[in-house]
Amino acid sequence: MVTCTMADEACKMNGADEEVPAEKAQKKSAKYDSGVADLEKVTDYAEEKELSTQDFAGAISAIGDQRNKEALEKQAREKELLKVSIKKEDVDLIVKEMEISRSQAERTLREHHGNVVNALITLTN
Amino acid sequence: MPSSNPLAPKENALFKRILRCYEQKQYKNGLKFAKQILMNPKYAEHGETLAMKGLTLNCLGRKEEAYEYVRKGLRNDLKSHVCWHVYGLLQRSDKKYDEAIKCYRNALKWEKDNIQILRDLSLLQIQMRDMEGYRETRYQLLMLRPTQRTSWIGYALSYHLLEDYMNALKILETFLDQQPKGNLDYEHSELILYQNMVVQESGDLQKALDHLEKNSDAIVDKLTLKENLGSLNLRLKKFETAAKIYEELIKRNPENTLYYKKLIESKQLTDPEEVVKFYVEYAELFPRAMPPKRLPLNYASGDVFKNLVDKYMRKGLSKGVPPLFVDLRSLYTDKTKVEIIESLMMQYVDALKKCGKYNEGDTANGPKEPASALLWVYYFLAQHYDYLDNTEKALNYIDDAIEHTPTLIELFVTKGRIYKHAGDPQEAYKWLDEAQALDTADRYINSKCAKYMLRANHVKEAEETCAKFTREGVSAMENLNEMQCMWFQTECALAYQRLAKYGEALKKCHEVDRHFSEIIEDQFDFHTYCMRKMTLRSYVGLLRLEDVLRGHPFYFKAARCAIEVYLHLFDAPLKDESAEQELNTENLAPSELKKLRNKQRKARKKAEQESAQAAQAQVKKDQHHKCGRGDVEPDAPQLDELIPDKLARVDDPLEQAIKFLQPLQMLANDRIETHLMAFEVYFRKGKVLLMLQSIKRARKLDLNNSMLHTCIIRFLKFISDNKVEWDPAVDSVLKSELKAHFNNEQDATKLNHQFLETYGDRLESVLEGGKMSYYLDKSSRSRSLDLVLSLDNKYKDVNIKNCNNVLGALRKGDFGDCAKEMEDYVARCNKAFPYCASFQKEKTVENNHIQSENALCSDCQIVNDEQFMPFNNI
Repeated sequence: MVTCTMADEACKMNGADEEVPAEKAQKKSAKYDSGVADLEKVTDYAEEKELSTQDFAGAISAIGDQRNKEALEKQAREKELLKVSIKKEDVDLIVKEMEISRSQAERTLREHHGNVVNALITLTN
Repeated sequence: MPSSNPLAPKENALFKRILRCYEQKQYKNGLKFAKQILMNPKYAEHGETLAMKGLTLNCLGRKEEAYEYVRKGLRNDLKSHVCWHVYGLLQRSDKKYDEAIKCYRNALKWEKDNIQILRDLSLLQIQMRDMEGYRETRYQLLMLRPTQRTSWIGYALSYHLLEDYMNALKILETFLDQQPKGNLDYEHSELILYQNMVVQESGDLQKALDHLEKNSDAIVDKLTLKENLGSLNLRLKKFETAAKIYEELIKRNPENTLYYKKLIESKQLTDPEEVVKFYVEYAELFPRAMPPKRLPLNYASGDVFKNLVDKYMRKGLSKGVPPLFVDLRSLYTDKTKVEIIESLMMQYVDALKKCGKYNEGDTANGPKEPASALLWVYYFLAQHYDYLDNTEKALNYIDDAIEHTPTLIELFVTKGRIYKHAGDPQEAYKWLDEAQALDTADRYINSKCAKYMLRANHVKEAEETCAKFTREGVSAMENLNEMQCMWFQTECALAYQRLAKYGEALKKCHEVDRHFSEIIEDQFDFHTYCMRKMTLRSYVGLLRLEDVLRGHPFYFKAARCAIEVYLHLFDAPLKDESAEQELNTENLAPSELKKLRNKQRKARKKAEQESAQAAQAQVKKDQHHKCGRGDVEPDAPQLDELIPDKLARVDDPLEQAIKFLQPLQMLANDRIETHLMAFEVYFRKGKVLLMLQSIKRARKLDLNNSMLHTCIIRFLKFISDNKVEWDPAVDSVLKSELKAHFNNEQDATKLNHQFLETYGDRLESVLEGGKMSYYLDKSSRSRSLDLVLSLDNKYKDVNIKNCNNVLGALRKGDFGDCAKEMEDYVARCNKAFPYCASFQKEKTVENNHIQSENALCSDCQIVNDEQFMPFNNI
């Protein structure tokens, strides 16, 4: 996925290169025509500002890495939680007594390692 | 565009024109082009064209057709991202955001890099607070459009909202590095301030301070810069710097009380005398500023206080400052201050009468005080005694004031307020009406008057009063709803509740609830707007506000009313014919009954006709709207009409109550009433663990609450009565929790006994304890009643509210049948509170609906007042 976006990036950046002078010119004219410009600003159709060209690739991949690491950790946690075996009757009981959703009941039960009494006590807090 | 049925070049051009027409809101033209494509037999079933036709129809308000076409289009081309996107847009316009998200996700399956769809998806995700999903989408947008400013901001924001400050800051830094240097526009300045906000929230105050100092040149919002510098320095205990900054801020705006408080903190002044000295110095520095004169009154005491408050009040009285009393009221928690104020005022009255001065010793120097000074003194004293519950004296002074100047509106308002506090809303409203008549162009007084009318249960009059200011041509009630005038609607609901018109009350509560939904809805537009305008601090503030919106007191009030009504409807469901009529007909002779029935039938017929007419008018109006403004956004989906009769006869009042309760449990869990109401609901549902939950939460807030006590007693009795039925797990939860929370006493009778002994000097507690004694053991009736009906000095809280609560409990039958006791009690209360209408025999018929303020034990009275009879109840 990263490589693909990098390629995308390169072409985008070339595109942006060309846009820069045009934008500057636009800014200048806007100064003399501030009324219209103000109006433009409040409408929903104003073009989004483009950034000047710089190399974002490094920064982005660093962020991407960070994100992946985190996502992995979270996934691991979730997986760990899913390993806990729980009884269907216990879930039913929690749903009935506490009037919460099934997924919420399951989650709480897993967090308490399947101990229904402890799960219920937590839910009454 | 991987459509399964690609169009030929000619049709393709037409299709593009449909899209353009849609964007430019030329819907009629769009339909024309769609028709041209569909006319070609080869493309008669073309999915994307059908979908676009549907979307265009939706914009013309033809919802049903719209859905038909969009669904058909989608069926014909399930692999088209256009069809899915269109379906998502349609769902979004109907506010079905969850559904819309699913559609967008499907669309992305077929076209994963479509920027427009990703953007739309991200908007829905932030609206629904799917933060993880939002981050995911923003990540993809950044990858696809790394040159766009919003891509970066949005991605950083997603981390910030997930409280991952480190990543948020990293992204912001990377982004800011790319920005041209020396940029001094407002948006850049806002971005830096936003960055600083994130640093502050990450907890690294020193870093935040450094960041702010480093970038101070680029920040154009100098006030925010200074305020932030001040608070950061103070929090980092850099007192000298902080003091300097706050001094500058006071110079900038000497009316801001916060600056003074922060400056005192910076100077580390804790001794009240020093604080007073500080304020006196500043009063000299800024002679026109109010805070340095008013704030020291909070800290001063004894003669210093007397001197300061003397000066302060004289100035206010000479100038004629109407809210002088309201300004000083917060000092009344201190009894000695109240005495000083009172004695000074007395001195003013005497001296002003004698020689036109505030002090008889002042005669020699200076001119006399203005004639109005005496008036304002009277006015102040009236409010002073009203606050101290001395109705007699308050009325004397307000009458003196009115005699002095019979044209001052404030005086009549205060007179009304005195009667309100004394427990006579009818009389109160008459005086407000008087006030309103003095200036019919004053909207404030108009609204006040309407509110007092509602308190006196005159809903119709209140509406008529408000109508003086609402738009012409629409009914006032409708217009006030449209304007989201919540105070009016809530007061209306409470009036209807007192009048036992439960359906009408519920309608008002639901209307308020809908306002809150609408406010949450309205944030949608800001997701794009704020991001583009770079007003990120305000944007984050808005998101956080919307998250806790239903924690607002306005919602609490309306929700409480709704829950109470639903509880009542559960306890005493309405019969087929409305309950009010039932009750009234009981005592009628057969011939009268026949007359009444006839009258009712006529009334009903008339009402039906009227409502039919209204419906017709509505249809006409809608049509008119459609023709007049063809491009009106159809974004307000039609909500079910709120029909009072239906609302009052729901099958599941408790479930309905829970709908109002849940937001309170989330957002108003610091108010004990929330948990007390929760208990009432779950007690009726027999959900033992949820009862436990409510009790546990309430105990965290106030262990000694009397209403909580009744919950605990009923809970313990419920457990011992139903012991056998629990599931073993529930049983062990109960056992361990009871042990943890009521270790010493789990026996309801004993616990109640203990409670009565501990709080034997509080009527409020004795009433609840007494109720529970009778609840547990009917034979304790006379003993409990003796305690509850006593008005003597052993209670320190014999007041109108508590006595009304006692009366309410007697009426409700909390002590069995008490007709005789009630009569005697009312007579005795009348002696104690002669102005209170609910204790006046001749007025009780008219006024017995004055509900006790203690919400949960209250019961609504059926009113016999003719003008509220069900004949005008449509």
